[in-house]
Amino acid sequence: MNTDMNLAPGPLDSRTIISFNRVSLAYKDQDALSEVSFNVTNGEFMCLTGPSGAGKSSILRLISMDAFPTGGQVRVRGMMSSKMNRRKIPQLRREIGFVFQDFRLLEDRSVEDNVAFAQLVVGVPHKRIAENVSRVLNNVGLWGKRHRLPHQLSGGEQQRVAIARAMVNSPKILLADEPTGNLDPRTAQDIINLLFRFNDAGTCVIFSTHDHEIVKSFGRRVIVLEDGRIVSDKQRQGIVDRSVNLADRMYRADLDAAASREEPAHA
Amino acid sequence: MLSRSQAGYLARESFAGFGRRKLTTGVTILIMGSSLLVLAVLTLATLNLSNLLETARSGIDLRVFLEDGIGREDAAELQPHLVAIPGVEQAVWISAEDALEEFRTTLGEDAAVLEMLDSNPLPASFHLTLTPEARNLTAVGAIRAEAARWPQVAEIIYNQDWIDVLERWTFRFQMVSLAVGLVVFLAAIFVISNTVKLTIASSARLIQIQKLVGATNAFIRTPFLCEGMIQGLLAGSLAMGLLAVGFWFLKENLEGLVPFTPAQMGGFVLLCMFLGLAGSWAAMRKYLTLQSETA
Repeated sequence: MNTDMNLAPGPLDSRTIISFNRVSLAYKDQDALSEVSFNVTNGEFMCLTGPSGAGKSSILRLISMDAFPTGGQVRVRGMMSSKMNRRKIPQLRREIGFVFQDFRLLEDRSVEDNVAFAQLVVGVPHKRIAENVSRVLNNVGLWGKRHRLPHQLSGGEQQRVAIARAMVNSPKILLADEPTGNLDPRTAQDIINLLFRFNDAGTCVIFSTHDHEIVKSFGRRVIVLEDGRIVSDKQRQGIVDRSVNLADRMYRADLDAAASREEPAHA
Repeated sequence: MLSRSQAGYLARESFAGFGRRKLTTGVTILIMGSSLLVLAVLTLATLNLSNLLETARSGIDLRVFLEDGIGREDAAELQPHLVAIPGVEQAVWISAEDALEEFRTTLGEDAAVLEMLDSNPLPASFHLTLTPEARNLTAVGAIRAEAARWPQVAEIIYNQDWIDVLERWTFRFQMVSLAVGLVVFLAAIFVISNTVKLTIASSARLIQIQKLVGATNAFIRTPFLCEGMIQGLLAGSLAMGLLAVGFWFLKENLEGLVPFTPAQMGGFVLLCMFLGLAGSWAAMRKYLTLQSETA
């Protein structure tokens, strides 16, 4: 366990966009999170990591107020979980973009319609929808495939559609729950680079993964979770940065893993 | 307030379920239309029975026969007391001579038999007509009791006992209709609710994404509620259509029966739309509750 971890939330200032203060969450009798505290500042890129069941997805659900803490307080863009009027949740969600491992696209609608859908349901006028969809599809490099259906795209392309849909409403926060989980290393690198680009443009990105290779490539803040507790919250500096070819590192890690699995058989 | 793009989306989505599940929706409308036809037939039968009863009741009157020897003056003294009885609209004096004349008219060609009589055997009487509220068994009983108190009164005849029987049967029929109607009503809500649940289940991803991107619950619900209402509208129209066709085929056998007025038909279809709405609401409410429980 890391001993120099910083578990106390920093002071709330005008740049704090998300704040967890001694937050606990239990599903029925099972604890998902125990007294978790951290702050996220506007425009930050943060990675949540840890094994499956460590509490990464629970933190993302709490941020989107899809779940409410059983103890402590979550504050997102000034809205406090304990005082949250449920009718205001849709307003909060319009400032948050979501990306998931399984893409969650509408299979019967084209790329363009999938992205436009996010604007349609919040009442953006048609003309502006067309402009925004064109802008964001160009950003993710899929304008040329806008008329295709999701099943006519590769996994990486489908994830880029999901990112375009998450970004079309210009959210302040982008939550990415294992967005590279279903992708090969090279495509995963592309997706992470895309997230970096949106972060460079000012969107706060919170990215969850259990893949150590991806975490190692981060020159950013990484929170490590285990059994619903934060065991490390550090700014990673100088280990690697995103100029390092993540795909190569992941490819090599895959080979090593395969080799170590095969070794006993040869022995 | 909805934007134009939202309104267009909701309108499209309200009909989308019909396109995606033609067979299920068709069967639902057929089942619901048949159930509602039963409801419509029962309603129509009840209405006709009520009409019949009302017509019969409007003919309810009482004949207050007076003692022999009561002359016009005594009768004139009694008249205001009879009119004062609650429920009595009018008390028309019928002298013994008028009664005989009336009887003569009734007998027609056989009236010659009256010539054999030495004197007029018919007593003088008052013909009481009743207010609409008093045209029922209870009120008639009270009026009879009240009128009988006067010494000039010899006998009171209420010669429409068959109305009592009709009234009892109408009441029984109305109760049975109400019970069957209630069952059909609940069954229709249940059928629509289940169809909308299918739509909801097949739209689970759509709903999930709508929630993620910040659609309000009201916005998410609207197309499903509209779908239920449209199903109700179609099923109600089907029931009314089948009823009209039935009337047309059986019009010779059903002479005298009163069909629904256009306003009643419109009201029935509106009721069916409400049923559809209620069914969808029940399905949606359960679904959204489930969502928040798992959230």
